[in-house]
Amino acid sequence: MRRLLALWEKEYLALSRDVLGLAVLFLMPAAFIVVMSLALSDVFKGGAGRGTEFAVIATDGKFAKQLSERLAGDGFRPTSEPDKRGVLHATKPALTLIVPPGFEHALDTPPGKTDSAPALTLIADPVLPPMQLLAFKQRVLGVVLALRVSAMMRQAGIAVSADALDLKHAATLKVETIGNSGRPSSVQQNVPAWLIFGMFFVVMPISSLFVVERREGTLARLVSLRVPFSMLLLGKVGPYFVVNLMQAVLMLLAGRTLVPWFGGETLVFPARWDLLAAVTACTSFAAIGWGLLVAVCSRTLEQATVIGGVGNILAAAVGGIMVPRFVMPEAMQKLSEVSPMAWALDAFHAVILRGGGAADIAAPCAKLLALAAALFAAALWVHYRRRVLTSAQ
Amino acid sequence: MGTLNLEALSFRYPGGGDAALEDVTLAIPAGRVFGLLGPNGAGKTTLISILAGQLRGATGRISADGETLEALRRRRPHTLGLVPQEYAFYPMLTCAENLRFFGAMQGLAGTRLKERIAAAAAFARIENVLSRRAGRLSGGLKRRLNLAIGLLGEPEILLLDEPTVGVDPQSRAFLLESIRSLAAADRTILYTSHYMEEVEAICDHVAIIDHGRVLVSGELSEVTRDDSGLQELFMRLTHRSLRD
Repeated sequence: MRRLLALWEKEYLALSRDVLGLAVLFLMPAAFIVVMSLALSDVFKGGAGRGTEFAVIATDGKFAKQLSERLAGDGFRPTSEPDKRGVLHATKPALTLIVPPGFEHALDTPPGKTDSAPALTLIADPVLPPMQLLAFKQRVLGVVLALRVSAMMRQAGIAVSADALDLKHAATLKVETIGNSGRPSSVQQNVPAWLIFGMFFVVMPISSLFVVERREGTLARLVSLRVPFSMLLLGKVGPYFVVNLMQAVLMLLAGRTLVPWFGGETLVFPARWDLLAAVTACTSFAAIGWGLLVAVCSRTLEQATVIGGVGNILAAAVGGIMVPRFVMPEAMQKLSEVSPMAWALDAFHAVILRGGGAADIAAPCAKLLALAAALFAAALWVHYRRRVLTSAQ
Repeated sequence: MGTLNLEALSFRYPGGGDAALEDVTLAIPAGRVFGLLGPNGAGKTTLISILAGQLRGATGRISADGETLEALRRRRPHTLGLVPQEYAFYPMLTCAENLRFFGAMQGLAGTRLKERIAAAAAFARIENVLSRRAGRLSGGLKRRLNLAIGLLGEPEILLLDEPTVGVDPQSRAFLLESIRSLAAADRTILYTSHYMEEVEAICDHVAIIDHGRVLVSGELSEVTRDDSGLQELFMRLTHRSLRD
């Protein structure tokens, strides 16, 4: 045990003096959390919830204003100064509805009396998400239908106010989701996602120091002192486990304080801290296991950097860290199930997002622990298979 | 500690072609410095790595005091000390932290650890730089720290693999003097070097190996009797062709 403590102390001292390594482990995920939480905040609000400006252009200014007022809401905002007819300047407004002459009069004509009202034209910014465009089209059709019905009722002698036929007043629709929310908000997605990404980056300092130890003969000296190789590997587990726990605490605090300070939403802490700690621990073991395998397999710092870095980025891309899985096509969602980062994200979401219990995190945590054990065993196997510790010839 | 005996020691690297060591038989007496010479790739470091337990799979027998080295090391784990040709310490740690770490890895603790650190540092004359980062030391100081780490466990068998490479003449003279004094304490010392004058200065026995085979072995005065010096004997036996 004394030797294990000495190994842990050595690893701690080495890491504490590696400024770049610490920056990668702590500043990188914190920066990603803030930047991505803010950058993607609209995306996570859902299709119609995003702030989108629109303009209505009609020959009758009063009618244009009336339409604008009815179309506004759920994130769609009318611009105060519409662009010239038919011309969409830059990307503002993202949507321009052009009402042809005679359209208002056609609304007063009962259906079937004329072939149809003159066509409305909607000019959309090409970068507007399809769901956004669809939502606005539905709003336009709803408003036009309300105007038609209003006109028909007026012709029938039934007095009805325009507001009564507004879609907003058609019915009260309450959406209920499982747990706190069905889909994560931006901060709920990005805090655990980039925390996991940062945790797996322990692969860099673990493998770098290990390669240096082998290259400089330190590892050979330790083996000559009859230090078991399994103990050398365990000597890396303790310090990096603590590092991962510190990352978790700091990144959650970043979601709680830093993101709202920059104008984003605040991360709501889960009620079950014990489950959060369990998920963090399981993720940490998997990340450290990955680091140990890369360390043992890499012969040079370049190899360690490429294998560790690219492996992490691929696992993050596939596992829903960089792009949320719910926006992926079905095939990619299935593929993402092979990424350990996806297992970790599932477990974190079960605790943070859905307020789940132990049963909800059991499966992903079991997978993470099994992976950690397999990676540790693989590191030992690779080492013993090579049999040769030094480059001595 | 009596004589360290190597009998018919052979080793082949996995996937390698020729044997790195073939039928090496040597008797390395205690209380003397035994010089192991050979061109690059001759098998010197391989032999040291096998003795230090870093390489497995060698055939033959290594024994001392009537028991195998493996059994001896199981019984007394820190019988053997290694000073490798690389700076085998942590550059980001201070000298004191390196000594404390490697001392702890040899099972030393508490007062005993402090005593051994002080003694090893004093022997290598690095007491004044204990608080400095090892990576920022001069080449000579690094070599002395490397030696101090190898002496922490007071090993009875000391393996020195080119311990004076890249140091100035003053540091070299100090290191050679120190190594000589270590042998006087009845240690078994195996010393490899490319510098013939070093070997002639501190070694009593020598062996020259090439292509994994022992070409000559014995007391320095005996093996050089027919030649004008160790350099000439070395060149005669290993030829003048350049090595990788």
